[in-house]
Amino acid sequence: MVESGVTAMAGTAGRLRLSPAEHRRLARKARLKRELTGWMFLGPMFLCFLLFLVIPVCGTVWWSLQTGNIVGGTHFVGFDNFAQLPDTVGAGSAIANTLIFAVISVPLILVGALAVALVLARIEHGGSIYRFLVYFPVLVPGVVAALIWLFLTNIDFGLFNNLRKAFGLDPITWLSADNALGLLAVLDVWRNVGYWAMFFVAAIIGLPTELYQAAELDGASVWARFRYLTLPLLRRIIFFAVIVSTIWGLQVFDTALVLTNGGPGTATTTVIYRVWLFVFQSNNKVGFASAISLVLIVVILALTLVQMRLLRDRRGID
Amino acid sequence: MAVETAARLPPAIAADHARARRARRRRNELLRHLALAAITFVLVAPFYYVFLASLKNATEIFSYPPKLLPFPPYLGNYEKLLFHTGFLRWMFNTLFVAGSVTTLKIFLDSMAGYALAKVDMTGKKVVFMAMLILLMVPIGALIVPLWSLMSSIGLIDTYAALILPPLANPLGAILMRQFILGLPKDLDNAARLDGLSEFGIYWRIVLPLIKPGLVVLAVIIFTDQFMSFIWPLIATTSDDLQVLTVGVAALRAHGGANYGLWSASAVMSLIPVGVFFFVLQRQFLARSLAGALKQ
Repeated sequence: MVESGVTAMAGTAGRLRLSPAEHRRLARKARLKRELTGWMFLGPMFLCFLLFLVIPVCGTVWWSLQTGNIVGGTHFVGFDNFAQLPDTVGAGSAIANTLIFAVISVPLILVGALAVALVLARIEHGGSIYRFLVYFPVLVPGVVAALIWLFLTNIDFGLFNNLRKAFGLDPITWLSADNALGLLAVLDVWRNVGYWAMFFVAAIIGLPTELYQAAELDGASVWARFRYLTLPLLRRIIFFAVIVSTIWGLQVFDTALVLTNGGPGTATTTVIYRVWLFVFQSNNKVGFASAISLVLIVVILALTLVQMRLLRDRRGID
Repeated sequence: MAVETAARLPPAIAADHARARRARRRRNELLRHLALAAITFVLVAPFYYVFLASLKNATEIFSYPPKLLPFPPYLGNYEKLLFHTGFLRWMFNTLFVAGSVTTLKIFLDSMAGYALAKVDMTGKKVVFMAMLILLMVPIGALIVPLWSLMSSIGLIDTYAALILPPLANPLGAILMRQFILGLPKDLDNAARLDGLSEFGIYWRIVLPLIKPGLVVLAVIIFTDQFMSFIWPLIATTSDDLQVLTVGVAALRAHGGANYGLWSASAVMSLIPVGVFFFVLQRQFLARSLAGALKQ
């Protein structure tokens, strides 16, 4: 075995003594082969990525400069759609609703998840059953989650009003114009708290235990250990969670459609909901729809870039 | 250090300290259990409430105080759901589409990850950067160009329309690149010296080694697909092609308030999730960690 290996090596070495031109030709050939192999591996995925993600993102820019109907043909109007966007019925409220939704849901989700994670990371026995139960709502499709919440918020027999009745209070309208958006945000908390809780548990378990032992010996209280150890150590992880959960929050659509139908009025009509209405319901305002989509895409890209930037900077320091 | 201090104390006091510490630990553990039990109760109660409703007839649902145990159960809602709506067809469509997307993605993403991690080629950095930047752009923001693209090639209202666009998601390729970068370099170098082709290295060395990563990837893709709604909603028009989420939303939107049917559809929709979750618990929880991996 060893001997034949050596001869093979010697043979190769012998053949490698080539004229410079021949050497360049072979190097070029090897390189070409490497490039071809690489693109054969990357190609199929890259083609899908190009066709169904890169081109549609660029296509949104084109559509946002058009006016007309998605099937009936359009013509170019420049930046008119963007100029008129603030005055277009429904566009401003959709953006406002989406922002309010994210501002309510994201802090609740992350504070809740962090609290659950702090307890769950320290539990000694039976952690897996709690993890299972905390995570289960995460796997419920938005449509089904909204259906479930119809049974919680129903005026006549909903769980919330039945609880109020049990405490001698009068039933109230949960999905009123004032409450509906907030309730939609709470639904989102119910669905997502488990996801980020598990994310934080993994991060907390990975923290260095010596620091905590030292802090305990120095008599640091539970709160002090959280405030001056856990929080600073998790800063990067928490930042990541804030950005990603905000991006997810901005996409809210299916729960708004099923739970409240975007209403009452336009109280829960979000950005993607409005895009869908503009294009596929009676409105046929494909240019406006694309203009709002583009606003959403730009915001999401900006958040993504901020996150990439900060993660890289911090890594440089660490 | 704690041990040293304890050792220098008189034995009786040291034993006292140890006992106190054990008691405190037991008390804290008990408090944790109480807190978690309360939280999980709140998170799970909605499921039980809907499950109860699904076993009640139209008048029982409205009665107060609500019955908290489903005896005798009323099965009419389930009968109606299974035999008088397209529910089973929707379930089949969802499983078929999610299964197809998952299978295709496993190969596309692991191959792309292999190229991004192992092959020295031009354009690799640019492609990877583009993938990272576009990673978070949701399909919901792209429905106009996607719909017009699919309709211009005549694929609207086909299975292909449901399966193709989700293949673009770059998360899998990015994750697989990460996994493959974590493999020791010597392995594929040795295989290359032994004369194995690039494809052979991918197929016989890399794929078996990243199997745990592939399972996590499959779980992520399958669940995302199971939950997807807006694209299937607009990509199909015929009843036969509705997926579960679209069908359930249609039950809600058409035919008036039918709470019994809605609750039964919610419960039945959760069965595949429950089964799948129970079998692959660890991999499911790794979904949350996939985000961390990206760092």
